[in-house]
Amino acid sequence: MTSTAGFSRQGEATFVAHFSPAEVEVLINLAAQLIEILAERVDVAHTDPLAQMMGISGHDSPPDDEVLLRLLPNAYADPVESADFRRFTESTLRGKKRAHAMALRSDLLQAENSAVSIDQVGALAWLGALNDIRLALGVRLNVEENSYERLELLSPDDPMRGVFAVYTWLGWLQESLVQSLMAEQEFDEEQGADN
Amino acid sequence: MVQLDEKIEEFLGTSFLLDRPWVTIVWDDPVNLMSYVTYVFMTVFEYSRERAEQLMMQVHTEGKAVVSTGSREEMERDVQRLHEFGLWATLIHDR
Repeated sequence: MTSTAGFSRQGEATFVAHFSPAEVEVLINLAAQLIEILAERVDVAHTDPLAQMMGISGHDSPPDDEVLLRLLPNAYADPVESADFRRFTESTLRGKKRAHAMALRSDLLQAENSAVSIDQVGALAWLGALNDIRLALGVRLNVEENSYERLELLSPDDPMRGVFAVYTWLGWLQESLVQSLMAEQEFDEEQGADN
Repeated sequence: MVQLDEKIEEFLGTSFLLDRPWVTIVWDDPVNLMSYVTYVFMTVFEYSRERAEQLMMQVHTEGKAVVSTGSREEMERDVQRLHEFGLWATLIHDR
């Protein structure tokens, strides 16, 4: 994979990254998969208009799929309290995650010469989407605290090797965006101090 | 003689007079980047970078950390926001 410089801050609250065509393809593909996984958790149809209006999803049991469970985790250790919380909040949470993935995909589809330029709001959406994709890959790769060595030692023909390479690259890309956002925050604070 | 020093730090970490016995806990996760967790604490709670880094390190080394304290409604809001960012957060009644 051609390496890029990742995200950098260019001017006030603008974050820019130049990707290779292959990287764009991988990111669009993963965002689409994330959107599809989230869509598997379709809302239980509510006939009660008030419940619909309140965004009550009807889901009160945790997802069976481990990826979905990591993306939409339990808020309480107690299953009854957790179910109550989930019924009122899961639909909103799922909608936000979907919106982040959609923003990432749409920014890439609109990118000219594989260059992406986003503002602060866009950067937060990217950050959320990149993290959700990494969480999902982490579940599938069975990433644990010290699994880096195990994954590094995968044989060259192991299909998981490619997935792990993508996972590592996404972590590096996300890190570049976090550092750019931190730099932006420090810049804002300095500006505030001057005024 | 009563030794205040030993207990004072523990006491300062609580809101004893306020009846706010709910806490939000963030659990260690092998996927989330350390810098990202720090940035999320700064963004969600408006904590200073120093405080956010301390909490992140506590999560990383001890496996979990209490990141906020308040009413049940406030903690549910915090947990929801942390879930939006992909952090593994739960809330409990702290007594």
